[in-house]
Amino acid sequence: MTVYDIIFYLFAAVTLISAFFVVTNRNIVHSAFFLLFTFFGVAGIYVMLGADFIAIVQLIVYVGGILILLLFGVMLTNKIVNVEIKTGTIHALPASIVLGLFAGAIGAAVLNTNWKIVESPDPVPTTAAIGRMLINEYALVFELLGILLLIALIGAASMARR
Amino acid sequence: MKNYILKFWQGFFTIMIGMKVTFRHLFIPAVTIQYPTVRPEMPERERNRLYVNMDDCIGCLQCERACPVNCIEIEIVKSIPGEDLGITSNGKKKALWVTKFDIDIAKCCYCELCVFPCPTDCIYMTDVYEFSEFERDNFIYDFVTLTPDEKEEKKKNHEEFMIKKESEKAAAAKMKAEEEAAKKNENVTKSKNNTDDKPEENKE
Amino acid sequence: MIYDWLYNLTGSEMIAIGIQSLLPLYLFILPFALVAVLLERKVAAHMQDRLGPMRVGYHGLLQTIADILKLLQKEDTVAADIDKKFFDLSPLLVFAGSYAAFAAIPFSGAFMGSNIDLGIIYIIAVTGLVVAGILMGGWASNNKYSLLGAMRAAAQIISFEIPTLLIVITVIMITGTMNLYTMSEWQTGYFWNWLIMGGPDLGITKILFIPLMVISFLIIFLSTLAEVNRTPFDIPEAESEIVAGYHTEYSGMKFAMFFLAEYANMFAVSAIVSALFFGGYQSPFGYLGNLLEISWLIPIEQFFWFTAKGVFFVLVQMWLRWTLPRFRVDQLMSFCWKYLIPISFVILLLVGLITVL
Repeated sequence: MTVYDIIFYLFAAVTLISAFFVVTNRNIVHSAFFLLFTFFGVAGIYVMLGADFIAIVQLIVYVGGILILLLFGVMLTNKIVNVEIKTGTIHALPASIVLGLFAGAIGAAVLNTNWKIVESPDPVPTTAAIGRMLINEYALVFELLGILLLIALIGAASMARR
Repeated sequence: MKNYILKFWQGFFTIMIGMKVTFRHLFIPAVTIQYPTVRPEMPERERNRLYVNMDDCIGCLQCERACPVNCIEIEIVKSIPGEDLGITSNGKKKALWVTKFDIDIAKCCYCELCVFPCPTDCIYMTDVYEFSEFERDNFIYDFVTLTPDEKEEKKKNHEEFMIKKESEKAAAAKMKAEEEAAKKNENVTKSKNNTDDKPEENKE
Repeated sequence: MIYDWLYNLTGSEMIAIGIQSLLPLYLFILPFALVAVLLERKVAAHMQDRLGPMRVGYHGLLQTIADILKLLQKEDTVAADIDKKFFDLSPLLVFAGSYAAFAAIPFSGAFMGSNIDLGIIYIIAVTGLVVAGILMGGWASNNKYSLLGAMRAAAQIISFEIPTLLIVITVIMITGTMNLYTMSEWQTGYFWNWLIMGGPDLGITKILFIPLMVISFLIIFLSTLAEVNRTPFDIPEAESEIVAGYHTEYSGMKFAMFFLAEYANMFAVSAIVSALFFGGYQSPFGYLGNLLEISWLIPIEQFFWFTAKGVFFVLVQMWLRWTLPRFRVDQLMSFCWKYLIPISFVILLLVGLITVL
């Protein structure tokens, strides 16, 4: 086991445990804070996979942006902190049947797939390649995404002004 | 647009002016002093802790009377003849033993009114301004130079003297009475000669 | 790089990584915080014509050590109704966020925590953890002042990240790299090769860049100043309005963690500014090591120049602190959204045009 393995398992554990707490926690602010660790762990795993740009963007967008906005939303909403979130179980029998089938299917798929095992290549900087791709090959998609975000922005502004 | 750029420039420029001012102040010597080690020089007519020079005190009680908050308490005992109390520095003869001279400095309002009436200038303000205490009782300053024994002695002396004086007085009175009695007798003998006057006196 | 040297010395990957990751903390942040706290108090005092700490050591030189001993012994006062788990976690998160930024800061040509390709963007990304930590601390304190301070801090930091990022993108467009090491190497040589003087490439672009770069330096300096919550942007911890903001309820070592993070952040943003515009660790006048032909002297000189530049900008921050009064919240936001962001967009556009031409 090398240092990288240890770091990988650390990030995986952080992601899984905090994700579990996000779902099960009764306090919505606690859930939001645990989401921070989930995002952080996912960013770490991206780094382990050699996707450095995605990891950084994950941190900037999710931790620095979306999570803070989420916390703002939660904290500024009146009395949302005291709301009892229902985490009781309903329809236990059908849910467990569906869940069992789904888990079995995934398990079978994992076990029966013929995984290709190759030596992982040394991570190379991906930023320049991503930039060239976005501007050359996927220019239209990139622009469309920009327009989509602009529309969302204008919509939010017009809703806020009303 | 022009206004916008002007505003930006003004903001930048005024900040620079402010920074120039603070930078200049960086090199101005500090106005504070290192208090316990370096002490400020007090002004000439400072008013701080009171002090009484008991050698000069003649026990005239003027300061006690002048005090607006009654923080001075004085008790005096007259000296007996023959006792030499010395003279004050400005040549006044002392005639009273001061057996109690307490100043409750916690009550003192530093008005300096007790200083002016003093005929011998024996009570005055000093330049001591640090006299905090842990006990309130320690603020009652006792200026009397006499020991408790001496105080007792003076009081006793005075009492004895008073008794003696009383007795002398009594003796004198007695003698006087005797004399008067003798005189009376004489008068009686005399009055026999002129009884006309006496009844008139009795009437009055 | 120092990692290889450590690896050869210890023979173990893990020990080498461990030592290297702790080096900036013990060799730099803690001594820097010691000096900076004293410096702050002395500068503040002398700007107000006072003397500052004078008792401990010569002119109060050991005052910070005395303060640290005091903080270590202090009872950790904890209010009753706090959210214990997050209350304890918050100072750690804030410090982790500001310490993580040091991983990508090039202290000298020979020492840099990690020579990652996305250096500058990485620093901006991990400082996002600081925002989350501050919000967490403010919320977990269960105190209205703490919550208000945390909200203000978060709003301020994420607003001022926009002009910072825009200027960083401008610089990336000019240098063509996000790696702070390459960026510093690009500005090598003498001080007229620094980006604030238009970069090392001679020609018409150099002259065109100078005014743009001066303005972008001002913008990034102000917006990073706002990101570390220093005066005049210290509304998140405005003492006269909301006690001490998000660290009102903290005491003892937990408070010291916040304090340490604040000073680490101060240096981190100064380091970013000097790495982007002032040549990073490059000496402005050439190296003594080159002159005397002693190769091991150069990294030490570089470290000296880097620290000197960083401390200079920290000093400017303190200088500004004792010059300007605090902004109001609406003034702060209008300053960011009406002035810094439009101007940095214009600069981005102009620099883009110039680099294309």
